[in-house]
Amino acid sequence: MKVLVANRGEIAVRVIRACREQGLATVAVFSEADREALHVMLADEAYAIGPAPAAESYLSSERILTAAKAARADAVHPGYGFLAENAAFAEACAAAGLAFIGPPPAAIRAMGDKTSARRIARDLSVPTVAGTLEPLAPDADARVAARGIGYPLMLKAARGGGGKGMRLVRQEGELESALRMARNEAAAAFGDSAIYLERYVAEPRHIEIQVLADDHGHVIHLGERECSIQRRHQKLVEECPSPVVDAAMRSRMGEAACRIARAAGYVNAGTVEFLVDAEQNFYFLEMNTRLQVEHPVTEMVTGIDLVREQLRIAAGEPLHVTQADVAWRGAAIECRINAEDPFGGWLPSPGTLTALRAATGPWVRDDSGVYEGYTVPGVYDTLLAKLIVWGADRAAAIDRMARALAEYKVVGVRTTIPILAQIVAHPDFRAGRLSTGFLDRILPAIRTAAGRFRSVAVIAAVLAEYERLGHATIAESVAPRDAWRSSPPLTVWRERTR
Amino acid sequence: MKFAATLGDAVETVEVTGERGRYRVTLGGEVWEVDARLTAQGIYSLLIAGVSHVADVTDRDGACVVDVGDETYVILVEEQTRYVLRTRSGAAGGRAHQTLVAPLPGKITHVAVRPGDTVAAGDTLLVIEAMKMENELRAGAPGTVAEVRVRAGQTVNAGDVLLVID
Repeated sequence: MKVLVANRGEIAVRVIRACREQGLATVAVFSEADREALHVMLADEAYAIGPAPAAESYLSSERILTAAKAARADAVHPGYGFLAENAAFAEACAAAGLAFIGPPPAAIRAMGDKTSARRIARDLSVPTVAGTLEPLAPDADARVAARGIGYPLMLKAARGGGGKGMRLVRQEGELESALRMARNEAAAAFGDSAIYLERYVAEPRHIEIQVLADDHGHVIHLGERECSIQRRHQKLVEECPSPVVDAAMRSRMGEAACRIARAAGYVNAGTVEFLVDAEQNFYFLEMNTRLQVEHPVTEMVTGIDLVREQLRIAAGEPLHVTQADVAWRGAAIECRINAEDPFGGWLPSPGTLTALRAATGPWVRDDSGVYEGYTVPGVYDTLLAKLIVWGADRAAAIDRMARALAEYKVVGVRTTIPILAQIVAHPDFRAGRLSTGFLDRILPAIRTAAGRFRSVAVIAAVLAEYERLGHATIAESVAPRDAWRSSPPLTVWRERTR
Repeated sequence: MKFAATLGDAVETVEVTGERGRYRVTLGGEVWEVDARLTAQGIYSLLIAGVSHVADVTDRDGACVVDVGDETYVILVEEQTRYVLRTRSGAAGGRAHQTLVAPLPGKITHVAVRPGDTVAAGDTLLVIEAMKMENELRAGAPGTVAEVRVRAGQTVNAGDVLLVID
């Protein structure tokens, strides 16, 4: 049995590891930008699939199937993103005699069109957020549809996921530019620029339910993940369990999620996303027909290896656990370490990781796709690694995360580590007062430097320069610097922040 | 050896002697015995009065970016003489114009200004698509657009000049 992993980065590494543990051979695919990527080194075989742009490599169904044929692979794991929620790709795999490690094409289609998913939920009497039940026609006047829903509203990619192609529109004047950016992002990320409109729910929590379904009619849920800490709809911190979900609510949400999965004829691992308001009412948002980035927190708390379950389900085996077997123990938190500069307008920060020291120690897990010396290409998403910790309870998990973030050192690119450290130390986070507006709310008060380490920073900077000028040696010289500029660097532009 | 360390509006004079990982640093009238070891490229282990610190020091446009604890400092370190010459000549004073360079490689998807346009702080200048995100870039200071050197659809490299604002 040989599995081709149609992805890159940390998720390709995650899947390869699960296959290795199961005794399955693995095949990596890589673009011209990824010859030196970690997944290529960890797989048993690796095939080039084209140029750096994803459209010509990781999004090319044809090139991936050619590689699968060359490698005589038996199955394809799509990871998340790229072709993971592409029904035509799942069909093409089946037509080529490959098992697609994911749901059947019909289920991907039903849920992949977010408006069709909303109709399914409505028919099952699962509450949904008000909005359009069809995508906006390309030539339609968006203003008319928007007026019917009212401002503020959300623009969402009908084929979307992972927060791409989503924009908040507060008033009509912002609609045109927001729609253009959402369409561009959706087209780039999903190859489909269709957008629909949804009423904006103020300060909601984003809570999702993990489901597992086999080919034998069993559908179970593995509880929730709270993913309310987001920036521009990109999740940054996720946890299991949610601080607001008790056993009764978990059971209600889980039951609703299983009903949706059943109605869609769902098989394999999937995630049903909900918005939860201040009164703990939940509303169906969408179903992601794939493994989620944040799946490890569920694994840490339930003890169930989701990728391993995916492989077993795809092999036609029945689920190894029943709903009654699923137990939640302790608390897990995940922090996404992205190559972005949180204090420099959150701009992506590609480049070479000149030094990398990941956090380790008790109950710390580092799901990484990079290594020291690796150059982060500027063409893909910014996720470098996911830092996951487990604790006997939420407070212990938070303390452990703070400890692990302090240990995690990445030099050469800017990362989200400093902002993650501030998030987990924030009193509102510790108290579980979370909402999708959390980050925007706390950012204005966050300072890059509170002054506690000012003298240490000055000493370190001066010693680095002293040494560079050759007045002493420490162990080895630092990287050569650019010529001094005649004035301090100035940032005259920064990314839009709400 | 004397240095001037500039942090925002503040300037600190710092004197350093020593070698091979053992230094004496005079900062703000205090003398510190510092044991500093470069443990990996850019990662320093510092022992200062028995306290262990780990500081990441990287270069950004000639300034040091120092990450220590959960704090980040941008520090321009100059040899004292060089600093004095620069500040006496007034180079740090009024800027004739601001040159906007691409902070990373990407594709320009939208240019919102034309030469001659007056921009206020916060105005959208252009949109750059990089690493799968559309990044809307806004002016940090007011001015008049002198030159626009890019078009929508154009691919740019990090460091390319995009706009000049007077």
